[in-house]
Amino acid sequence: MPNVTLVIDGQTVTVPAGTNIVDAARIAGIAIPVFCYHPKLKPVGMCRMCLVEVWTPKIDPATRQAVIGEDGRPVMTLMMGKLQPGCVTSVSDGMEVRTTTDRVRFAQKGQLEFLLTSHPLDCPVCDKGGECPLQNLTMQFGPSTSRFDYADKIHFEKPIRLGDLIYLDRERCILCSRCVRFQDDIAGDPVLGFDNRGRTWEIISKSDPPFDSKFSGNTTDICPVGALTTADFRFKARVWELRPTPSICPHCPVGCNISLDMRYDRLMRVMPRENDYVNEIWICDKGRFGMRFIESPERLRQPLIRKGDTLTPATWDEAIALIAEKLIAIRTHAGAAALGGLASPDLPNEDLYLFQKLFRQVLRSPNLDFCTGAPGEPAIIDLGATLGVGKGTNLSNLGAGTSVLVVGADPEEEAPLYVLRLRGIAARGGDLTIINPYPTKLDRTPARVIRPRAGAEAFVALALLKTLIEEELIAADFVTRRVQGFDELKMRLRNHSVASLCDAAGAPEDVVRSAAYAFAKADNGIIIYGRVALASGADLIDALADLALLTGHVGRPNNGVIPLIPGANARGALDMGVHPGAGKKRGLTAREMWAAAREGRLRGMIIAGMDPVRDNPAAAEALDALEFLVVQDIFLTETAQHADVVLPTASIAGREGTLTNAERRVQRFRQARIPEFNTPAGWDVAQRIARALIALGVKPTAPDGQGDGRGASRTLAKTAATTASSDQWDYAVAGDVADEIAATVHGYADTTYESLGLTRKPQWGRQPNEAIFYDGTSYENTEGVGVQIAAEADNPKATFTLRARVPPLFATNDAYPYTLLAAPRAYDGRAWSRDSKLLPRMVTPHLILNADDATALGIAPGGLVQIASEVGCAVLPAQIDRNLPRGLALMPDVDGAPLSRVQTGPLTRIAIMAHISETVGTR
Amino acid sequence: MIGTIFKGLGTTLRYLFRKPVTVEYPEVKRPVRERFRGRHQLKRFANGMERCIGCSLCAAACPADAILVVPAENDPAAPVSPGERYAARYEINMLRCIFCGYCEDACPTNAIVLEHQYELSFYDRRSSILTKEDLLVPPDKGHGEIPPILQQLNRRPSPPAQIDL
Repeated sequence: MPNVTLVIDGQTVTVPAGTNIVDAARIAGIAIPVFCYHPKLKPVGMCRMCLVEVWTPKIDPATRQAVIGEDGRPVMTLMMGKLQPGCVTSVSDGMEVRTTTDRVRFAQKGQLEFLLTSHPLDCPVCDKGGECPLQNLTMQFGPSTSRFDYADKIHFEKPIRLGDLIYLDRERCILCSRCVRFQDDIAGDPVLGFDNRGRTWEIISKSDPPFDSKFSGNTTDICPVGALTTADFRFKARVWELRPTPSICPHCPVGCNISLDMRYDRLMRVMPRENDYVNEIWICDKGRFGMRFIESPERLRQPLIRKGDTLTPATWDEAIALIAEKLIAIRTHAGAAALGGLASPDLPNEDLYLFQKLFRQVLRSPNLDFCTGAPGEPAIIDLGATLGVGKGTNLSNLGAGTSVLVVGADPEEEAPLYVLRLRGIAARGGDLTIINPYPTKLDRTPARVIRPRAGAEAFVALALLKTLIEEELIAADFVTRRVQGFDELKMRLRNHSVASLCDAAGAPEDVVRSAAYAFAKADNGIIIYGRVALASGADLIDALADLALLTGHVGRPNNGVIPLIPGANARGALDMGVHPGAGKKRGLTAREMWAAAREGRLRGMIIAGMDPVRDNPAAAEALDALEFLVVQDIFLTETAQHADVVLPTASIAGREGTLTNAERRVQRFRQARIPEFNTPAGWDVAQRIARALIALGVKPTAPDGQGDGRGASRTLAKTAATTASSDQWDYAVAGDVADEIAATVHGYADTTYESLGLTRKPQWGRQPNEAIFYDGTSYENTEGVGVQIAAEADNPKATFTLRARVPPLFATNDAYPYTLLAAPRAYDGRAWSRDSKLLPRMVTPHLILNADDATALGIAPGGLVQIASEVGCAVLPAQIDRNLPRGLALMPDVDGAPLSRVQTGPLTRIAIMAHISETVGTR
Repeated sequence: MIGTIFKGLGTTLRYLFRKPVTVEYPEVKRPVRERFRGRHQLKRFANGMERCIGCSLCAAACPADAILVVPAENDPAAPVSPGERYAARYEINMLRCIFCGYCEDACPTNAIVLEHQYELSFYDRRSSILTKEDLLVPPDKGHGEIPPILQQLNRRPSPPAQIDL
């Protein structure tokens, strides 16, 4: 874009054409006050606060040339003869903007005087007080007195609920429409609107349940007054009393940057922290309102040891001594392979690293996993470590020239912020293709939607591949240099046509072809796959990898594959080696561990931060068969109730650490408060156990060597010189563990706390004093933007083999005519939701059916249905969805859903019938 | 020398018949000035409602960081103070307080007032922290009407330009 040079308040500034005056002034370091304008939203010019004098050179209509005055300079005229709103006026060459003249000052004063005629001035009780743009701008630009009658203010009933989470105080509202525009344009949940007119003009919610959006909390941040406040932070504290601590949201693979605003060790609120690479300035409601669990009174306070049938409180020394003694006993009489460990993919890297180190080096057992081993749990097939996204990827800069394939994912439920990021790409002109067997909210984005049959997604990917080959859309140069097996792939697809593959998938051929064309022709291509893709299996994932490879969309910034693996730090779990394939010797997967435990081959387990019994009640039986079970968690979970020793740990607020997000960005979170009840961090628990074992004579081995070379699983580094200190298990702080991770884990070399702390400014191309946009509400990021780890593909020498193959069709079964798919839900009602304001929004177990199927089966909405598979049956309420494809049944994967009782695998064939028995209930 | 003694005794004799300048504290208490700043009181409105709305501005103004306010939301059925917000906890550490009166200046509702009580002594440090119960005046000792700006609890939507007092 050409640049435009103009003068603002005597300062010459050059900005891209099309920039508006407010932004241009910002770049020159001049603050034009705004209320309705927000740099993330389209300007509307509603508030008139940004009125400025705009002078342009006078043009002679006859010659179309600038008129030159007697002094030899162009004659300037005031645009339209009056003040112009800066946010909707674009800059032009030779323009002169004056923001501090008497006329402008007079307008600003008048504007504020008008805004304040209806404002209740209840700043002392307002939650926005202290970070309120209206307060600040009134102090800076406003009149000191008003000519309006104080008693003549319009009054409304004090706050009304806009939803469960957001309160609206209509008196305070200045009707800037930031919230409405955010919901419409950015969140894609157009649930807010204006109602009435004149002095009763007000914001209303149009949805049922009211304000039904997963991003509603953001409207309170961008609200320039205290009109929108959250139920969570209502009258909790004044904002200047808060101590913000940089943290990372522990709820999903996005890894949003948040700040925990503390007051005297109590969490007051959660706010987003700006990070353009991850969450811009937004967070979802799960992150904002789902952190109350850290202060739950149900938190574990001290170690518990089983005495008979009860768990009785014990000291740490007793608990650790017992664990060491029992583990050594099991190892002596049954061998190291009789020990297994499960660690939650939500735990930070430090915990996961020491957990696997405890197992691999001290206990010498390779049985480690981060899955729960529930029957329907898909195998984790990871392209993040091999292809990944190129280092330096920034989705918020992408637009035209970018093509994104979202395959088998429901980003709104799995990783909500990706909805905003993908909508942003689409809004900036990017191309979006959604391939999912059932409709999701992302479909509202302008995109190409391909709806394959459940389980047949691989055929869509193969059809895309076939189109690339047929129409010669492959990146030939890249393929010859770095890809092997292209001829073999062509051979494997030889007998199939695009039409036959589309047919097998149940997808329209023309849409598939246009998707292939768009993806191949785009400058940047990104593939995002999620839980449904994992359920579809390796055939799909391999085909997706080939798709990225054949189009050359790997190994460069803004290109590659983003796997959304369940868990906030599944990426870290894979990289740290908490999975059975990471070591030299292959260990047992979670599912194999349950089987081994039942058969007595597995005798002792440590389960960290995970609750497999919740998802899979059958695991309880396996746990009871164990000789010894240690559970380390922050709550007394269902799993913990089967334990012999329960160890409490600190929550994310009580310790520090790092999390690796889906794009392999390692981000550090800080300790926000002294550990609750003096509980240690998870890494310290592993350390205490290891020290006790070593004290009892266990000799740790050197670090495990190179992985077994199975691509994705090659994560534990070959490296390293085992340093003498690492055998000592003398980590004093989390930083010591991070240093060892940096030294030993492949790719993590640059992730010491020092390198993670580097802040890169400016973050989004706007100026130093961004406060005027956000004004009081601070998104300042003082903790750095994290360090992205290079994937294998970033190495220009790495070559890849194409593996796509044509799978057999998913078998139909007349006895079980429906396909059951577990659908991820953000509001799943699990441990994080304790004490949260989101509790009313939690999804209860139900089954979603197509309307026609329901009619055929005689099922009414809300009525009970009975479902049966080869392994079991369950009864639960039905919900009807007109847009769901026929033959598909979705069961949200939420707390209490009877998934494990019917599932035979990620995709299950089931029969459905209306439930007529009198007995009500799901169990 | 004798003369000097009598001169001194003369002064004593002269002062014997004057009004003494000392007072018999604690039996007799000396009055303080109108604007004397002593121990704080939390005032009430005439109808017994607390004036304090829990805004924490006193705590923000306090140069000695002596004040702690923990706000909470009023129950509309039984409000503690007018408006939506009240102070669930209000504490002043009297050992920290420097009696500067900034809190009084900052208070938007004239709730916190430094009164004339100056006998502040404590047997232990803990009891130097005065809680809301210590600071509040009795319910029948309130004064003044609630200003319209705070009468927000039972407000109904009013048509434009209608005076709502």
